[in-house]
Amino acid sequence: MELTFWLVRSLGIVAGVALVTALIAILRGLLTVPNLAPLYLLTVIQSAVSWGWWPALASAVLAFLAYNFLFVEPIYTFTIHDPQLALELLVFLAVAAVTSNLAARERARREEARERAQEATLLYAVGRALASRPLEDALGEVAELLRETLHLRGCAILLAGRDGQLEPKVSIGELDGQFTEAPAEWLLARPRFDQPARRWIAVRRTGPHRRAASHQVPLRVEERPVGVLRLSAPPGGLRPQAARLLATVAEQLAAAIERERLRQAANQAELLRRTDELRAALLSSVSHDLRTPLAAIKASVGSLLQRDVAWSEADRQGFAEAIDREVDRLDRLVRNLLDMSRIEGGALRPRLEWYDLAELVREVAARLAPILAEHPLKLDLADDLPPVQIDYLMIDQVLTNLLENAAKHTPPGTRVEVTLTGEDESVRVCVADDGPGIPPQAAGGIFDKFQRANRKGGPAGSGLGLAVSRGFVEAHGGRLELKSASGGATFCFSLPLEPRSSELQAPIDQSELQTRNPKLKTTP
Amino acid sequence: MSGARILVVDDEPEIRRALKANLTGHGFEVTAVASGEEALAEAARAHPDLVLLDLGLPDLAGLEVCARLREDQIEAPIIILSVQEEEEQKVSALDQGADDYLTKPFGMNELLARIRVALRRAGGSSRSGQALLKLGDLELNLERRLVSMRGAPVHLTPKEYEMLRYLAANAGKLITHRTLLRAVWGAEYEDARQYLHVFVAQLRRKLEEDPAHPRYLLTEPGVGYRFESPA
Repeated sequence: MELTFWLVRSLGIVAGVALVTALIAILRGLLTVPNLAPLYLLTVIQSAVSWGWWPALASAVLAFLAYNFLFVEPIYTFTIHDPQLALELLVFLAVAAVTSNLAARERARREEARERAQEATLLYAVGRALASRPLEDALGEVAELLRETLHLRGCAILLAGRDGQLEPKVSIGELDGQFTEAPAEWLLARPRFDQPARRWIAVRRTGPHRRAASHQVPLRVEERPVGVLRLSAPPGGLRPQAARLLATVAEQLAAAIERERLRQAANQAELLRRTDELRAALLSSVSHDLRTPLAAIKASVGSLLQRDVAWSEADRQGFAEAIDREVDRLDRLVRNLLDMSRIEGGALRPRLEWYDLAELVREVAARLAPILAEHPLKLDLADDLPPVQIDYLMIDQVLTNLLENAAKHTPPGTRVEVTLTGEDESVRVCVADDGPGIPPQAAGGIFDKFQRANRKGGPAGSGLGLAVSRGFVEAHGGRLELKSASGGATFCFSLPLEPRSSELQAPIDQSELQTRNPKLKTTP
Repeated sequence: MSGARILVVDDEPEIRRALKANLTGHGFEVTAVASGEEALAEAARAHPDLVLLDLGLPDLAGLEVCARLREDQIEAPIIILSVQEEEEQKVSALDQGADDYLTKPFGMNELLARIRVALRRAGGSSRSGQALLKLGDLELNLERRLVSMRGAPVHLTPKEYEMLRYLAANAGKLITHRTLLRAVWGAEYEDARQYLHVFVAQLRRKLEEDPAHPRYLLTEPGVGYRFESPA
């Protein structure tokens, strides 16, 4: 490769000199100019502009020799008899040297300006890619940009994993095999402070040709290795300027990788914080919900125990009934808590049997009559529906939760309606109330655990009912949805007439269920 | 005392029912409401002798109800009912003029005792106008600023005396840290709780037979102090 490179240059120089020599040979026949040697300046300056000073000097010397040999008496020797001509030719050499030097410097300046522009463009593009795109995508783009700008044969970026092992993230083009066995000691070796910046890049020359090198650039954040950038240099090798560029890109890459790591750490912290919040919500809602019925029970029991008042039979009956109702309420709460843990544990297997849904609705409505005492209940049940396969206890619980919610969250005297309708492949149960509805901002998360539409004040509730209900309905391959939120809330669930067995086995989506309270994990 | 009119404010129907039945049985005249707005309206209409106020109400925070009752010149004692998690709100409510609190679930006998103390205090209100305060074995001569315990004179510093006078004048009532600091040291000291601990310890050494088990100067953990007059 390098041979061809030199060959091309040498041939170019020789060809240039030959061309001018031929021109001089022709002109000598037409004109009577004593010295045509300055014409060689054409090719000398051309060489200087194209290849730099040394090729230009070579070109000047060659031209001097050629002119001397071919056109200066005695012809075909390298001797010069005419001292004036000798002087002129020496002046030509000097002029050629000076002008070509100027031209070569100009060329170098231009080259440098172009490179700087290229570097700036590259750094800008790298910075933008790293700032605006996810790290994995950005790394690919950076590798591509480097390959284009530095004419690399190949480029790869590897990141240090948690255990210090290098993981390849991006690899494009052809990379020399030596890198596949990751020389981890390079990464871990501490850089020496006395090393000049250019040496910061670990350069390893490999391969059959001396200049066809492979390079490895460590990516570090404050001395800590976070990855490496590997590249296979182009045929001519990398120019020294590339080292500076690579060092800058490496810094940007390292910073971006560190940023990503910090972002992930922040996400992790945020997740933990939210888990904590959820746990706090659980504690406060569960303790409130457990204590409120306990307070009512204690007040009633305390009253019954007091000997200073002679309670009438009706009073005693009233206290006892209150205790009975509140114990039922506690029982429902505990059941919801246990069900939630069963759902989260994935231990939910409905025991399906054929039931008439209309019958179930009537039974639940009758059982909840005390709770619904202040609400006129309307049942609109299609009676021509086929029986469906359900787990009676689960669907009972779903309907109980929905009705209890309707009673709890609406003012006394407002209507509650249950409808049962048949659809093509499913049956549908809706519970509608005439209450205040659900604020839009709360509707989205209404099925999340420990969510209540009105957190501040508002009727107490564990925020478990809807989450549990949804889990149960989904375990049947059905869906529970909030149908209408304004002008009263309407919750509907549909159950398939032919349960799909695959869905029955599917555990509940674990991503929704971030917290688990180990204490609650009693799987019956 | 019997026949006093009590306003019960709680959004839990079962608690309202139980309280109403029990307090009616004990000879009180009880009105029960479920929300803060109803409570304000009822209080303005009927001027109850005492208010039992739940902190977790659906419409207004119990705290706000408390403040607005006082704004409306309702001077009836307010007893806060709260679950344990509402600790901070409870203290704020006491700072804003509530007289006492009970944590749910509470015993009926304790509630009745608190109601009686609050009503008695409200009834014999102008204790501060008396020249001589007698509480158990403690005597305070307010005109001459003299204190004696079981007949023996007790020497108090001016601040100790101020503190004892304020607590004794409000005997039976729960006084929050903040209220006590404001009354004795002034509003700018209302967060300087460390003063209280020191002065209360000194007062106990001078007044109590066994300062480790005080009978007069009782601590309500995290809330404040209560001066009891042992029967």
